[in-house]
Amino acid sequence: MNGYGQDGAGPTESGSPGYGSTDKLGEQLAERRVLFMGPPGSGKTSILSVVFEDTVAYDTLGMMPTQQQAAYQMVAGITIYDFPGIDYYSETQYNPPNPAIYEGDYTSLVFVIDSQGDFQNSLATLFSVIRTAQAVNPQLPINIFINKVDSLSEELKQDVHQDMQQQVWKTMRYENLNSAYVQFFLTTIFHDDIREALSRVVQRLVPNHSSLETILNSFCSKSSLDKVFLFDVTTKIYLAMDSSPTDPQIFRFAFETLKAMDDVSQLCIEYLPPSDDGMMSQKVTFDLEGSIRVFVYQVNSYLSLLCVGSTQVIRQKSLLEFNGSKVAKAIRQILPS
Amino acid sequence: MNGLSISTKKKLVIMGRSGAGKTSMRWLIFSNYTANDTRRLGATIDVEHSMVNFMGDLNLNIWDCGGQHKYLDNYLNEQRENIFGNVEVLIYVFDLETTNKESEYQLYDDCLRNLAVFSPTAKVYCLVHKMDKIPEPEQKELTVESYRRALAKRSEMFQPDVFGTSIWDHTLYRAWSRIVYKLVPNMEIIERHLSNFRRLSDATEVVLFERETFLVVCYTAADADVPLDKYMHISQGIKSYRNACVHVQSRFQSVEVSNKFYSMFIEPFTKSTYILVITTDPEVEPAVTKANITAARPHFSDLAR
Ligand SMILES: Nc1nc2c(ncn2[C@@H]2O[C@H](COP(=O)(O)OP(=O)(O)OP(=O)(O)O)[C@@H](O)[C@H]2O)c(=O)[nH]1
Ligand SMILES: Nc1nc2c(ncn2[C@@H]2O[C@H](COP(=O)(O)OP(=O)(O)OP(=O)(O)O)[C@@H](O)[C@H]2O)c(=O)[nH]1
Ligand SMILES: [Mg+2]
Ligand SMILES: [Mg+2]
Repeated sequence: MNGYGQDGAGPTESGSPGYGSTDKLGEQLAERRVLFMGPPGSGKTSILSVVFEDTVAYDTLGMMPTQQQAAYQMVAGITIYDFPGIDYYSETQYNPPNPAIYEGDYTSLVFVIDSQGDFQNSLATLFSVIRTAQAVNPQLPINIFINKVDSLSEELKQDVHQDMQQQVWKTMRYENLNSAYVQFFLTTIFHDDIREALSRVVQRLVPNHSSLETILNSFCSKSSLDKVFLFDVTTKIYLAMDSSPTDPQIFRFAFETLKAMDDVSQLCIEYLPPSDDGMMSQKVTFDLEGSIRVFVYQVNSYLSLLCVGSTQVIRQKSLLEFNGSKVAKAIRQILPS
Repeated sequence: MNGLSISTKKKLVIMGRSGAGKTSMRWLIFSNYTANDTRRLGATIDVEHSMVNFMGDLNLNIWDCGGQHKYLDNYLNEQRENIFGNVEVLIYVFDLETTNKESEYQLYDDCLRNLAVFSPTAKVYCLVHKMDKIPEPEQKELTVESYRRALAKRSEMFQPDVFGTSIWDHTLYRAWSRIVYKLVPNMEIIERHLSNFRRLSDATEVVLFERETFLVVCYTAADADVPLDKYMHISQGIKSYRNACVHVQSRFQSVEVSNKFYSMFIEPFTKSTYILVITTDPEVEPAVTKANITAARPHFSDLAR
């Protein structure tokens, strides 16, 4: 009922590649939107189908080039648009989208670059997009995904990252473009970090994000937890987390925990009533040696709180559940489905 | 000390051509490695012995026999008695991508001929391995079936069980669960007590896993038609979660799920097992189920000795 892209039919095709001449085009797209752009073959569609449709990374190998813009629906109306590849140097292919799509305070750009591909070509395309976009929206967040880093050594990855960053900053300074909203991510469809990168992009578009963060902070300190995430359980993208410093391993671990939760719940699918809204007040506790506990508390049919804490604290489970239920209620009010 | 505890040592030999995947599967089942890690494996030199304690008193003595020609010749000649003597279980691994099926079968025949001489009562399992290389399910079925027919003709004396396996999915766990099921002493007794426990605690399904490998030892369900396959992804899932816990410098201990419709526990049970209990009766409080597990623990600890 929540309109996820992966509920059966896959992404919905929308719009046409040519866009015609509607000036209001921006308004036809969802207000909260992420635009996935980049050179052909850089991995845009692969990333989205791995995250939204649970496609196995290896199965993207034969992926066809995208001809038509496609949309993936997320929580709270956030929509991710996958665009056909753009090649700055190829005049036949380069059919720039209507600049109106970049407008709005809740629009974010993800530009996917193939780390194995032609950098100069990719950068030329990137700058042509940035020029157009910043002309209508100087504060547009620009997230550069340096993709396909799976075949690079740790050292080479850092080099590529540095190199890309230098070149982008240099050119932006030179062309007088605003680089304050530019962020870089090293990504690959073969690693779960891709979901963290997407989480960071999407977070800024979540309605009432700062209130959510405040609620999670207070939950965290009241219940003496180490870390709290608000997860979209199907895509395993987090929409918010408390603002304490994050150990880079913790997201990976949280993600694996959700996967393990899926694995074990799979056993009991037959015990769920067929016409259920998915809200079953589920509570899951993982106990680890060395006194770590993970507590997953269902908020509604697609959101869950994932809390990491020490055993001593979560031992007072009834208190935690009590706090959890209050937080869940507050979140349901702020984030209507 | 309560007298003699008879420990059973059983020899399990893994045989097959070099590169078939013998060491890979041993790593996956008996250590905390992932399928990806096996890409780094080199060819096994001669025989790698390992002793695995499985279910308390059962000790598996695993002989992972390197499959390069020079070693194979040796196994079938000078070493034949050493290799094929005292064997409880022989696992023969066929690489389904083999280019020369005839020579593969010849090697298999040679092994069985020696086994017939030195361990005529051994149990033989044939694993048709790397099934992930065949994408279509029907084709997979046909391939295993054709091996099954060919092998039945060649090994009348041993009547091997044939399984299709791959390190990339749960099929490997299924095959190995079946293999160890036959090895555990007292299995009928354990099964009977487990099903009593399920009835007494009003549970819907109860599964016993071996603690280290997370292989299914036995299970009981209110609905008698529940297939063993249902639990295979749990073995795989828990093992991969164990790997994930390493990232936070910890080790998986237990998990508990409860919601409006069911509750489920996976927790350490006896010294050598984990237990999974699913309860779907809303009258049964999760806390009661948990108490029942605790109460049954000492009883089963005695059984599985
Ligand atoms: N090694 C590797 N290959 C990738 C990765 N991401 C995508 N690919 C491969 O790159 C190829 C192109 O991927 P697509 O997702 O179709 O690229 P795209 O950006 O959507 O291409 P267009 O739709 O033409 O713009 C596919 O064969 C993918 O398997 C990655 O992270 N690592
Ligand atoms: N695709 C696929 N590859 C596998 C599978 N099992 C093992 N492999 C790969 O096969 C290669 C050889 O595996 P090993 O386990 O070293 O083979 P082995 O039978 O022990 O070889 P020897 O020790 O020389 O006898 C490794 O690169 C494994 O990753 C499988 O189920 N599917
Ligand atoms: Mg595409
Ligand atoms: Mg080997």
